[in-house]
Amino acid sequence: MPSEPDDKGMDQFVAEVRAFLDANATRRAHVGDEVVWGEGEDRITYFSTDPPEVEAARVAAAKAWQKVRYDNGFGWITGPPEFGGRNLTSLHDLVYDSLEAEYDVPDTGVLSLIGLGMIGPTILAHGTEELKRRYLPAMYAGRIIACQLFSEPGAGSDLASLATRAVRERDGWVLNGQKVWTSVAQHAAIGLALCRTDPEKPKHKGITAFIVDMSAPGVDVRPLRQMSGGAEFNEVFLTDVYVPDDHRLGPVDGGWGVALTTLMNERASVGGEGAGPAGRAVGLQFLTELLRANGRQADAAARRRLAELFADQAASEYLNRQALRRFRAGEQPGPEASVSKLMYAQNLTRGAHFAAEIVGPRLVADTGEWGTFSWTELLLATPALRILGGTEEIMKNILAERVLGLPKEPGIDTTSPFRELRRSGRTGA
Amino acid sequence: MSTGADARAADTARAEVSDTELAELRTTVRNFLSTRADESAVRAAMDSERGYDEKVWSQIAGELGLPALALPTEYGGDGCGLVELSVVIGEMGRVLLPSPFFSTVVLAATAVVASGDAGAAERLLPGIAAGTTTATRAAPPRAGSWEPAAGALGVRVTGSGSEREVVLEGTAPLVVEGAAADVALVVADGPAGPTLYEVEATADGVTRTTLRGLDLTRRMARIDFRNAPARLVGRPGGAALAVARVLDVATTALAAEQVGAARACLETATAYAKERMQFGRPIGSFQAVKHKCADMFARVQVADAAAVEAARAVDGAPGSPDPGVAAAVAHAVCSEAFMAVAAENIQVHGGIGFTWEHSAHLYYRRAKASQLLFGGPAVYYERLLRRAGV
Repeated sequence: MPSEPDDKGMDQFVAEVRAFLDANATRRAHVGDEVVWGEGEDRITYFSTDPPEVEAARVAAAKAWQKVRYDNGFGWITGPPEFGGRNLTSLHDLVYDSLEAEYDVPDTGVLSLIGLGMIGPTILAHGTEELKRRYLPAMYAGRIIACQLFSEPGAGSDLASLATRAVRERDGWVLNGQKVWTSVAQHAAIGLALCRTDPEKPKHKGITAFIVDMSAPGVDVRPLRQMSGGAEFNEVFLTDVYVPDDHRLGPVDGGWGVALTTLMNERASVGGEGAGPAGRAVGLQFLTELLRANGRQADAAARRRLAELFADQAASEYLNRQALRRFRAGEQPGPEASVSKLMYAQNLTRGAHFAAEIVGPRLVADTGEWGTFSWTELLLATPALRILGGTEEIMKNILAERVLGLPKEPGIDTTSPFRELRRSGRTGA
Repeated sequence: MSTGADARAADTARAEVSDTELAELRTTVRNFLSTRADESAVRAAMDSERGYDEKVWSQIAGELGLPALALPTEYGGDGCGLVELSVVIGEMGRVLLPSPFFSTVVLAATAVVASGDAGAAERLLPGIAAGTTTATRAAPPRAGSWEPAAGALGVRVTGSGSEREVVLEGTAPLVVEGAAADVALVVADGPAGPTLYEVEATADGVTRTTLRGLDLTRRMARIDFRNAPARLVGRPGGAALAVARVLDVATTALAAEQVGAARACLETATAYAKERMQFGRPIGSFQAVKHKCADMFARVQVADAAAVEAARAVDGAPGSPDPGVAAAVAHAVCSEAFMAVAAENIQVHGGIGFTWEHSAHLYYRRAKASQLLFGGPAVYYERLLRRAGV
């Protein structure tokens, strides 16, 4: 991808990135998907199931690498210079990522997926100068991690029905409520919280956004163990948490607009992730090796399923290529980008079930044989893909309503005061 | 993999066409077809003796110059690629235009170009470019794949005056627009193996029989050869390469057609879901219907990307996937998508979608026929694995 820079400036940028990476990282021995069956670690990781000390080391390495990036001018390529950014385009960002992928560097997902990808742009768009100065350089320099305090037990797909209360007190606000599915909260120094500030207004119109200090008294982060065994996300209980008013993001009762900024950036980031160990595992090459290793390479039924899966994977990859090409030509991705996320979840799920069928009873219990029981990890991770970042059902509503223009479900109440709505969940307003 | 490396190298040199230019081309063709090939015109054509409207065909050639679009400039063409041709074919698919365009421009002309036979190109391509010659590719043998296996072609060389002039015997049972073609390109078993020949459809010993078809907007015919005179195209025994190229180009072009038609189904279903009232509200406000439409949209988007990438790959655009793989992916994905979307279109319409008067069945027919045209799922999934090296 970086081999086709479109102007001299980009050539220069590429050279600069190369020089930086060569000086600070090791190039991978080989780039690509080469598979040697039976060799290497027998794990197909999607969600981390690492013990805390391994996890902590990973986070430290991520922060350290982000600092190196930042100190060399690559911490926030698209960001404004006054907050440590380079003021370059998203295309430069893409070019940087594709170049860096050729090197062995720590995975910085713990910083970037939520904090730098979603919260940073939200603070930039809605924060006061003081907030931006205080947090943006710290985030992009890898000093602090940010999390997103949005979902609640009673507010999932219908995020605007959230019930965590923020009540004015002294020069600030006191927060009470419970958040859930909060990724990286255990590592986070700050959180972007959506709170109910006026229950007498319609649900979208009585929400305010705050930056919460995760070490403040009353913030209680409890790991939430997932069906896959690990605890990558959390419940966050807020009990009489004081937040100064200068940590409010956007106007009072104007939090929904802030949330939309965050969610827009979420849609832009989810779905584009094709590679990684899971993506490689369900790729044609690895699955072909799986067939061969199990003596099934001539099994017509297995071949047919593999071909069907590969066709859809390849076409999804082509869809992403097309989106990338349009993006490079200056087109902003719209709601139709949800298709990519739907396909990603579908293909990974099908891949895991295909492998399970080939492995057979050796998936039921660990026989110790390489490349068999290790598929359980992916198999147990895939149900999450149809839920996180917006459920499949919500994605389809978005496609149908915003792209195809089909009418909204009638009877969805957007005008009554929040207080009068029927809700489920444990925390009340 | 199997495509002509020379053709690709030549294509690579061509400047990449811009999205704006493609959009203009699309608008031109769509505007033309909306006035000349609306549903009533399509139905009149499909009920006519020839199966297509000759006046529309001559306008497509004369006014729009579309048959010339992707043919080499030295033989009267415009030298464009499959990316441009796909836009045209997508629009034709959208309205299910009955015409010998696909058989002539895609199946026959590609075989001639891929054969590398300058004499044959000289003889046939200027007429095809001008729209005065219609042609087709007489393939495949009964139920078979389009990749010729020696001895199983159904047509063989039984006599020859010279290496270039031979006599053919046998039957091509399922020929696209076979009855309308002036010229048929036939792969026959020759002394040197599978060889491409050119047969004048009106020659003695050639019998063309129009068949009853599933797809009412694309005619099929059987062509019988009884001592039929034929002329060599390319090298004796050299059909395999040309046929592989035809398959990549034809399945990619077909994919574009399938996407155009599938998008028409999606749009028809969506429009109906907005206007059809039941239980006091538009049926499109029910999630069961809404999600069906979203699924259709997703399939069309993915299929569209597959068709576009395949066309770019076959054209040799930089950074493209392997053309053989991309063409096979597009053929599988677009065939499946169109079939699914054509069926769901009927479902969204309910009873009215099952009537003869409604256009939905015409798309459903085209979807199944085009899915099976080059062998069907059993063949295309295996081909995909082979092309990907599995």
